Amino acid sequence: MIMESMPLSFLSPGSDATVMEIRAGHGLCRHLVSMGILPGSRLSVVCADRGSLIVSVAGTRYALSKGMAMKILVGQIEVKAQ
Amino acid sequence: MTKKIRIALAGNPNVGKSTIFNALTGSRQHVGNWPGVTVEKKSGFARLGEYEIEVIDLPGTYSLTAYSVDEVVARDYIIDEKPDVVVHVVDATNFERNLYLTTQLMEFGVPLVIALNMSDMAEKNGTAINRVMMKKFFEIPAVRTVGSKGEGLDELLRTAINEAETSPHHEHAIGYGDRIETLISELVAVLGNDPALSARYPPRWLAIRLLEGDDNAREKIEGSPVRDAALAVLAKSDPEETEAVMADRRYEVITALLPQVCTTCVRTMNSSDLIDRVITNRWLGIPIFLALMWGAFELTFAAATPFMAAIELAMGYCAELVGSGMEPAWLGSFLGDGIIGGMGSILIFIPNIFILLFLLSILEDSGYLARAAFVMDRLMYSIGLPGKSFIPMLIGFGCNVPAIMATRTIEDPKDRLITILINPFMSCGARLPVYVLFAGAFFPANAGTVVFVLYVLGIAVAIGSAWLFRKTILPGKPAPFLMEMPPYRLPTLVTSIMHMWDRGSMYIRKAGGVILFGALIVWGLASLPYGVEYGSAESFAGLIGHVLEPLVAPLGFDWKIAVALLFGFVAKEVVVGSLGVLYGTGDDGGTLSSALLADPHLGPVTAFALMAFVLLYLPCLAALAVIKKETGSWKWTGFSVVYGLVVAYTIAFIIAHVGYFVTGGI
Repeated sequence: MIMESMPLSFLSPGSDATVMEIRAGHGLCRHLVSMGILPGSRLSVVCADRGSLIVSVAGTRYALSKGMAMKILVGQIEVKAQ
Repeated sequence: MTKKIRIALAGNPNVGKSTIFNALTGSRQHVGNWPGVTVEKKSGFARLGEYEIEVIDLPGTYSLTAYSVDEVVARDYIIDEKPDVVVHVVDATNFERNLYLTTQLMEFGVPLVIALNMSDMAEKNGTAINRVMMKKFFEIPAVRTVGSKGEGLDELLRTAINEAETSPHHEHAIGYGDRIETLISELVAVLGNDPALSARYPPRWLAIRLLEGDDNAREKIEGSPVRDAALAVLAKSDPEETEAVMADRRYEVITALLPQVCTTCVRTMNSSDLIDRVITNRWLGIPIFLALMWGAFELTFAAATPFMAAIELAMGYCAELVGSGMEPAWLGSFLGDGIIGGMGSILIFIPNIFILLFLLSILEDSGYLARAAFVMDRLMYSIGLPGKSFIPMLIGFGCNVPAIMATRTIEDPKDRLITILINPFMSCGARLPVYVLFAGAFFPANAGTVVFVLYVLGIAVAIGSAWLFRKTILPGKPAPFLMEMPPYRLPTLVTSIMHMWDRGSMYIRKAGGVILFGALIVWGLASLPYGVEYGSAESFAGLIGHVLEPLVAPLGFDWKIAVALLFGFVAKEVVVGSLGVLYGTGDDGGTLSSALLADPHLGPVTAFALMAFVLLYLPCLAALAVIKKETGSWKWTGFSVVYGLVVAYTIAFIIAHVGYFVTGGI
């Protein structure tokens, strides 16, 4: 079940989420889209440290800083047991 | 008769384009396990039957907008040079993500061939891609390749030739829905009224880019007679919204077609996750990085010692041959002091350079260095640098020239300029001989640690400078970090040795070229005017040195070091070569390090100050040339020279005087 949206940086390792919205400039949005990060895409958080994360999107791993992760709003799908 | 064909290799970063390029053309372009190794297009030739095929390796990109310099390079090539075929290299283990670029390449209207690279790994993971279905849906032939083993390359070339020769010029188009398609056709009609424009750019492509609000595409219609008419059509839609709809549509097509062509595109969590959690851990990340680097330097010294001893023995033997009573005496001096003293003193350090480069290659090939960039990002961001600039900094450990070129993947111009300016402080392989010589002579017990400290000093000065630039001349906030993490791979001995050779062989060529040349000039200056005692204060070298000496005397350096530093501007190894000549080590079989130890002007403190000075003082000639090229500005090139000299002088001065005070010696 999808809950309300929150910044990607709030997620903890192991959680899965769906991208709801990207709040970024034109060029960055376009770049994220070309990397497969766009509203509707599913991602899972591999590891997280004070807001910076490594996420896995369609089998590819991306590292994002907190600033970047704050721009991506997601809906969490489930929280795996830690 | 031979026929000529041009093939461009396009694809996402890190999918093995350069590996395929090397296998096709027999060249040895560097291949790395991180995104953005190829930032400039490279060309080579392949042959198949009667065809001579020019192959162009384009920078890896996620899309062909104009997000960063490397994307512009790739896109301009396809548009301006119109290759006969574009081969889209796809990572078969990660098929879905790659297809977005496919949809963009389709819009150029050039013949396309897909190379499903790394197919062996994909098959091992259980991914099967149906090439017949691919051809049916995308109308693009696909070839199974394994670049690293050379599999499927002939078939790839045959398919590419076939596409170029026989395939009609068809547009593989994605439909964007009625509303946008209407706009596209209106725009295409308008653009068609300017024959020059529509001959140069594929009209549908240009229309799509314009509708997406691409500034670079907008520039292309400036000055065209149809500009106003085109803008009138564009005014009917909101570019941001249109772009979002179009991106959605591309992904819809991908999502709809994916199950047809790849029924088993499985996604699993794997051991990479666990490793990532440990090495990017909040507390462990930076200590692990430092420990690995320190280990690399210690190992470099330990493993290089027997090689160095062997080369030293051989050099001593050669010196003895020419030193013992050769007539005329100047010839003996030329061979002994000039060639063996100058070039030989560099050759001794080749094993060190190679072993360090080998260890760095292992770290890179395994996928670790990309994680190191992520680990360092928080630290970097707080001082005003994007985490991405850490990759060029790490490349700088090998050589600053490719490192400065690698800054092209940094999108923000200010971020990029700062990264370029601090790069010369990253200690390249050419500086290693200086450290090995002085650390080995004056700190025999802790040589590895001393060198490690120098590398850390370089990083610290680079980071400190970035902070300073952000506070003063280049204010602003760095772009947030976003980078693909390559999969972990077990590095193979062969590829790591190849990488080591790719990067290290340059130092051997330099030793026989610019270093030898520099050493001979120094020898000439030390021997002339005719009749002076070799290397004495009355020789030209002595005269130049004594002019410069007052400048460097506050740092504890004498005239010989002043001359060596002057010539070290050409290439930093020349510092060692010049000292080898000036100390005249070739003729008596003694080593340069024993000659340095015997010099009453030198002690551990001065040696350390000198190493720090050599680390920081100037970008070498080649690095300056590339700084000029990449910044396009003499002002910033000059700035990097002056800034480097000031920083080097200040830090060496502090080290020398604090050192004298604390240790009471020189």
